[in-house]
Amino acid sequence: MKAINSIAVGFDGSVESQSALRWAARAAREFDATLTVLHASGILERLGPPFSSSITPEVVGTIIAEEGMDVARSYWVVVEGDACSALLHCAAPPVNAELLVVGSRGHGKRPGMMIGSVSLEIVQHANVPVVVVPGR
Amino acid sequence: MVLIVNEAYDDSEHESPDHPERPGRVRAAMGAVEGLHLGSDLIVAPAYSATRAELLRVHDGGYLDELGAFCYGGGGDIDQDTYATFDSWSIANLAAGAGLSVIRELESRGEGVGFVAARPPGHHALRDRAMGFCLLNNIAVAAAQLVSQGERVVIVDWDVHHGNGTQQIFWDEPAVLYISMHQSPLFPGSGFVGEIGGRLALGSVVNVPLPAGATGDVMRRALDDVAGPVVDAFRPTWVLVSAGFDAHRLDPMADLGLSDGDFADMASCVSHYVAEPGRLAFFLEGGYHLGALQASIAATLSSVLGSPFEGERPTSGGPGAESVATGKVQRLAALESWTRLFEEEASQ
Repeated sequence: MKAINSIAVGFDGSVESQSALRWAARAAREFDATLTVLHASGILERLGPPFSSSITPEVVGTIIAEEGMDVARSYWVVVEGDACSALLHCAAPPVNAELLVVGSRGHGKRPGMMIGSVSLEIVQHANVPVVVVPGR
Repeated sequence: MVLIVNEAYDDSEHESPDHPERPGRVRAAMGAVEGLHLGSDLIVAPAYSATRAELLRVHDGGYLDELGAFCYGGGGDIDQDTYATFDSWSIANLAAGAGLSVIRELESRGEGVGFVAARPPGHHALRDRAMGFCLLNNIAVAAAQLVSQGERVVIVDWDVHHGNGTQQIFWDEPAVLYISMHQSPLFPGSGFVGEIGGRLALGSVVNVPLPAGATGDVMRRALDDVAGPVVDAFRPTWVLVSAGFDAHRLDPMADLGLSDGDFADMASCVSHYVAEPGRLAFFLEGGYHLGALQASIAATLSSVLGSPFEGERPTSGGPGAESVATGKVQRLAALESWTRLFEEEASQ
């Protein structure tokens, strides 16, 4: 199997995205790959509370370190944009991710909810392998 | 000149606590209309709920089914920005229908200017996904109706965010020319100059990304120098405007530096895109500072109706003129290169 050099994971702070981040960090460690942690901030975050995110690079770095990955091999990227498009773009330069990792559902989503599903959209449109990680 | 607006409908149940896309936006818009004191020159087009057939021109049936079921299941957050309630499905259908109703009234009268003061807004709604506060793409539904009648439609989108939904829906539609001027980088992260339309409609998309701080003079340059020649060549029979007002300098959603006088100027410019009367309509998209929203709508409508307007002066001096000029060159280069590629593929 071809080596994987670059992995990208979507992270919105939800329980599911934390599970996805942990899985991605372990995979990056095993493959000795770089890890791009992407947070798409959408429209509302710039308004501040109650819409702003409590996600910080430090929180992400702690999770990555707990999974035994070298934090220096990870990149924290925030984009003002749509989560699906932003993660799909990670498969192109400059990130060139060869594997995309995403939680099964994001903030506030009900189980089985299809509408607005980032994971479903990513699976439908990605041109690289995708791993969808359940929350628990 | 007469102004044709959609009949008001109850949108109060499409609301989420603290969310800036709220019913007060339409009240502000209608406050602007009332402030024009048009008397008998104000025509109200009857409320109308878009039919499934009309929506299917621009949305996938599966998506419509899911959205309806989601709403009638009680609604909730669709994504980090976008919400729906139990009543959102019927309210969104009325918003899509409002555009159709105003267009029909314009057609029957053969004169006037349309203004669709409806929410939720639409230009981010993709063929198969809600996003960016948008559930159904109202302006796309109206444009698709016109295209089905053989019309050629230019959509000018001056909302501060790129209208990715409208661009996606008409990507391969040669009868629609989509022009967007927007802040970049900014949500939704699309709208680059190299996005120029699909294989079946190459050149039918014009994107003018602008840096934070850009002022009205840059917007006018984009309309005159970049969009103008493309519109002339396209020869539209209708002009629809995705009129977001969040490029106003007071708006909390972005960082452009426009005044309400700039919107008056831009409205005047686009009103010359089509020669015949009764073929221009503005659709409310964004705009979240209610005072700026009301003043900017008043400026826009005053400008196209020829009414007196006492508002802010147009702005100038911000960054972006160079990027407009560079973008024009890059767009032409992209157009040439894609045309050559498709011709080579066709000859093989």
